[in-house]
Amino acid sequence: MRFPRTLILLAPLLLAAVAGADVQPQGEHAAALPPMAGPATGLADSAGLRATVFGTPPQQMAPLPDRVPLSEIDIKLPWANPVPDVFWFNKKLRVWFSAQDKPAPLAIVIAGTGGDGNTSKNATLRGVLYGAGYHVLTMPSPTFPGFIVAASSTGVAGDLQQDSHDLYAAMQAIVSRLPRRVKITEIDVLGYSLGGANAAVVKAIDAKEQKLHIHRAVMINPPVSLFTSITRLDRLFAISIGTSNEDIDRLYRQLYAELANLYRASDKVEIDEEFLLGAAAVVLKTDAEFSAAIALTFRLDLVNMFFAGDLYARTGVVVDPNHPPKVGDPLEQTELRLRQMPFSAYFSRVFAPYYLQHRPNSTSASLIADNRLDIIADALRNDGDYYAQTNSDDLILDKAELLWLEKTLGSRIVVYDHGGHLGNLGDRSQIADMLDMLAGRWSGPRS
Amino acid sequence: MLARSRILLGFAGALLLAGCASDGLEIRSLPPATPAADNAAAAANAAALAAAMADETTNAAAKATANAAAPDVGKATVDTPPLFTPADAPSMRTYDPFERLNRFTYRFNARFDDAIFLPLANGYRRLPLSVQTATHNFFANLDEVKSVINYVLQFRLHYAVRTLGRFVVNSTIGIGGLIDVAKDIKMPRAQTGFSDTLATYGVHPGPYLVIPLLGPSTLRDGIGFAGDYGINWAVNLGDLYRGSYWKAAAIDVPWAVDARANVDFRYYATGSPFEYQQIRFLYVRKRLIEDSGLRRYSRPTPPPAGTEAGQ
Repeated sequence: MRFPRTLILLAPLLLAAVAGADVQPQGEHAAALPPMAGPATGLADSAGLRATVFGTPPQQMAPLPDRVPLSEIDIKLPWANPVPDVFWFNKKLRVWFSAQDKPAPLAIVIAGTGGDGNTSKNATLRGVLYGAGYHVLTMPSPTFPGFIVAASSTGVAGDLQQDSHDLYAAMQAIVSRLPRRVKITEIDVLGYSLGGANAAVVKAIDAKEQKLHIHRAVMINPPVSLFTSITRLDRLFAISIGTSNEDIDRLYRQLYAELANLYRASDKVEIDEEFLLGAAAVVLKTDAEFSAAIALTFRLDLVNMFFAGDLYARTGVVVDPNHPPKVGDPLEQTELRLRQMPFSAYFSRVFAPYYLQHRPNSTSASLIADNRLDIIADALRNDGDYYAQTNSDDLILDKAELLWLEKTLGSRIVVYDHGGHLGNLGDRSQIADMLDMLAGRWSGPRS
Repeated sequence: MLARSRILLGFAGALLLAGCASDGLEIRSLPPATPAADNAAAAANAAALAAAMADETTNAAAKATANAAAPDVGKATVDTPPLFTPADAPSMRTYDPFERLNRFTYRFNARFDDAIFLPLANGYRRLPLSVQTATHNFFANLDEVKSVINYVLQFRLHYAVRTLGRFVVNSTIGIGGLIDVAKDIKMPRAQTGFSDTLATYGVHPGPYLVIPLLGPSTLRDGIGFAGDYGINWAVNLGDLYRGSYWKAAAIDVPWAVDARANVDFRYYATGSPFEYQQIRFLYVRKRLIEDSGLRRYSRPTPPPAGTEAGQ
């Protein structure tokens, strides 16, 4: 949903909702969290968290064009599974396309975890890329429910290779059917967060299959190991919010009281965007509050992914495989139970059971190993067309992972001092460097 | 001849539409994005917010100094409303006894929006910005009438006077409401409605209600909407609100399209099966906080145990 930007900040906090007393606390998952090393131990650093929550200030944005033509493409993909009743609105994959009126390179942008094709970050990237002369195709993350239903061949999202294969197939279907007047000179891919890792793997797949002849790939704040990153996010949630329903209830009540007090002290006659913008700046101030906002945003994305995975894999954690919910059924209890499930529960109760069954000779350990960027380490090391941008205070990476990225990519990675996770996406130097990388003008970080 | 070419054109158009929709691929052209202007607006907002917060800090400091100078506790706390505590927050559950019907209406609204409302709104958003702004101002100005009357009913007379002032200024100098002159002379718009009036008299929001075409609401908001329509009908400003269906359509359709074009919401853009209950949650909390603002100076009362939000 395209909430106003500020509501996006507050909605997750408010949406920590729909509690009830009849649910078992999921304490065992919190207890199972391993200790962590690296800069994000505990609550990462304050500036990084703040940047992650508030993003690039508008004053520091790279120059954006006045006008970007835009169309919406809905496409039905033949390999998708039958659409379950409750997902009736996701029959087609929806992507957004901006065409230049002359021959131009095509940049394909992939959103981060849970994001649709038109996230505000995708829109920022669309603006600067179109301004730099690219046709731009923005795609959802393979973890977005719209993608899981309409474009995934498994329905169980989160596997780096499988998801990237599905993305690659969807890209071919879309690119081959763009209007004939669109002349494409070459194709580059980029993505942020999980989408960055997807973009790199898509390029590696294309190097073998040679269907799209993708030239360059840029990863913006990518994870290195999906499992490590989700463990960090679970930990962030456990530290900043807690693990039980009561913890979520407490956070909701505190936030509600704060918002009500702010509103009563103002002379507003309704809650509008201006009020929310001010409220976000007042309510979100401490590291714990930033962390809670970040952790909740990811958790809400997980809720959708978990539900879809459980439904498709028939693992029966919250969805009875023999009586799946129908259109119009109340789903409050289901969401209530899902809200307490960390990423580790998704892995152990849906993802692993499904893939262990479908991949002969795999083990939990091999699934974890398969979901690292290592699987394309050779390509990252030897092919000069892979690039990355990240921040030294990105909370989804630890020190060892950052070091691995730097060693593997050499001069084709730039590491900024600040920005947290995606908190500098869109700022002048990030965009200038990204455009240099995409165009092959990059000659290493400025010292 | 003319008729025949029209039929041919229509036929070609139908083929074109069918072509776009064939083979499971649909391309819809949208109004162009305007990233530079959007970012400039965000920058202006951020600057205004920073200024307002700096201002507030100075005010708070001044107030604190004044209070310290005259340590009259009773007096000093007069202009701060009593505070909400976490215990005063409503339950996270929402009172929704009509859930099945509501979910059905929500789906109907989503389909209607996709097929009719949104295409109209997107067409409207391609018009020159000046035309859109003038249209928006025109309808906003008509709406001031019910706001004035409701402010009077709520005994919030300063707002009633300001809103009446806006209406007079904008209807005259602003050429029938097409230009919002009042905003520039520090009389910003502040709307209210019959639902707020009911809330002032202690009526609870009641059950959550999804109204066909209008969307998320509560029983009280639904009654409020009808009440406001009744006020407009009774006042019958410029004879716009009574008469033939055609006249009603000529006013109501542009009003609805303008209203839709100004709401940045897309049904099921979340892709989530939980969207219905998430919107319900946000809507009812928003209204409850607004209600608490209508009774700013009364002490908040914790909701009785076991009740759902809005009950």
